[in-house]
Amino acid sequence: MNILEVKSLYKTYPNGCQALKDVSFEVAQGEFLVVIGLSGSGKSTLLRCINRIHPASSGQIIFEGQEVTGLKGKELRKLRSQIGMIFQHFNLVPRKSAMVNVLTGVLARVGIMRSVLGLFSKEDQTEAIEKIKIVNLAGKEDVRADNLSGGQQQRVSIARALMQRPKLLLADEPVASLDPATSNSVMQYLEKINKEMGVTVICNLHFLSLVRRYATRVIALKGGEIVFRGTPEQITEEWFKTIYGEDAVEVSVH
Amino acid sequence: MINFKTIKAILIDCALGAYSILVTYKVVYEKLLQDIRYADFSWNEPLLALGIGAVLGLVFFGWEGFSVGKRVMGIYNPPFGQPFIKAPYKFLSLLAIALTFVAGLHYSQVSVYEFLSESGLEGARKIFIALATPNFSIFEETMFAAIETIYMAFIATVFSLPFAFGLSFFAARNLMKANAFWRLLYVVTRFVLNVTRSIEPLVWAIVLSVWVGIGPFAGMLALCVHSVVSLAKLYSEQIETINEGPMEAMIATGAHPIQVIWYGVVPQIILPFLSYTIYKWDINVRMATVIGLVGGGGIGTLLMQYQGLAKWHEVGLIVMVIAFIVWVMDYSSAKIREAIK
Repeated sequence: MNILEVKSLYKTYPNGCQALKDVSFEVAQGEFLVVIGLSGSGKSTLLRCINRIHPASSGQIIFEGQEVTGLKGKELRKLRSQIGMIFQHFNLVPRKSAMVNVLTGVLARVGIMRSVLGLFSKEDQTEAIEKIKIVNLAGKEDVRADNLSGGQQQRVSIARALMQRPKLLLADEPVASLDPATSNSVMQYLEKINKEMGVTVICNLHFLSLVRRYATRVIALKGGEIVFRGTPEQITEEWFKTIYGEDAVEVSVH
Repeated sequence: MINFKTIKAILIDCALGAYSILVTYKVVYEKLLQDIRYADFSWNEPLLALGIGAVLGLVFFGWEGFSVGKRVMGIYNPPFGQPFIKAPYKFLSLLAIALTFVAGLHYSQVSVYEFLSESGLEGARKIFIALATPNFSIFEETMFAAIETIYMAFIATVFSLPFAFGLSFFAARNLMKANAFWRLLYVVTRFVLNVTRSIEPLVWAIVLSVWVGIGPFAGMLALCVHSVVSLAKLYSEQIETINEGPMEAMIATGAHPIQVIWYGVVPQIILPFLSYTIYKWDINVRMATVIGLVGGGGIGTLLMQYQGLAKWHEVGLIVMVIAFIVWVMDYSSAKIREAIK
């Protein structure tokens, strides 16, 4: 069953920049779909259109059989709460502890007054501690987010996304600001979430070595259009040059 | 080619020409050369000047070395390092500045004679001696007035806080770009804040002392109005510098806009806000003194009373106490702000 279907999606920014052109693809339940392409090829825009952080200009996005492009207000927030998101720069709330940051994952199901006063229920707190354990940060609950290392911050943001009990996880270049060793460890957590918890993942990546290792399927964007669909093994030297340009040379990360 | 920039350039030349001619005639010729005490004024004079200015503007349009407007608008770009003599527009702009300087001296009635006159120097000597030998018999009275001023400034700051806090979000461009409605609300908030801020607290004190009567309450309200608008501006500028990442992350979790603000924005701005607020209290104490001069209560009113009676020894004491308070507030607010950074 397809958890997500994107049909001829177009996105034009107010400044006239055309970020996506006629993008269509499906994502099956449980897949680990990786989106590759140069910077500025529309990868980030694509992810942000799926959870409607950016409105699409035209086209359809169907999440679990429901058309979501027209959703507003409460409905829209409900959609977003089912889709976790991980960012290149982690986007944790500064000056707040790792615990509070993980708890922000439940904001959609907590009353506004309660969340403003910081009154999270016992169950939510227990769940947050559990999620922190999953990303191996037990004991770091009370450390301020800005005092954690890059890899640890990204793991907190994974725990925050897990708090949403997501059906779909969007990862926007989750390892682009991390060193190679940490990158691999963060990718392993995403793989674990995908395989053990059955959460579908759509991930933007730069390094082909990581793509080959973690992706179950790949699409490539170039100038806002899909130029390649297939398995990681199908990305040959030739395809690589088509996607990244004639002068590109593959660099690997181990 | 005639476009918006050329029109602006011509208008600049026209205005500059008219201004220079008018100042030359009214100040340099009539007042300084002819020494006419009560010069006639008719609206024909500025109109004529404007006419000549317009002619000059059109002449300079074809003669771009002379056109200040064209240079300002970037239409005329002389080669770099061009000698001064070949750039008449530089002379023309210097001429306008020199004329303004001469007119300024005339209108401020600058007079070396008054400054060094015998009776004047005698008066200055007396008042400085009086100020330097303050009369401590009114120390208690002064102290109580000073306490009034400090508390007045504190209450004004506290009352202004919630209003400034609330308004600042509506005056922050980065939060108000969602759609046309919010953008309009942003423009309206900014406009109201700018207009209110352009009215000095001194004027507010005069208006409010008619409303609620002369005294500390009027002074406090005046400070409060001014604090709301100036803090709202400082706060909103702080909000505009935040990292929008956390906000985006909160939106992505499906949080309500209020939750997005509370978790995505507030933690990033809370310390700068606190710092600005303490700074504002410090400023309010100084302003409260000035506002007291127009009947806003506190030590300013006391100063005005003794100054009116020409009791310079008492004024000396009050000035000393004011200087001390300002120094203490300045020092401690700087220390506190440093500590919470």
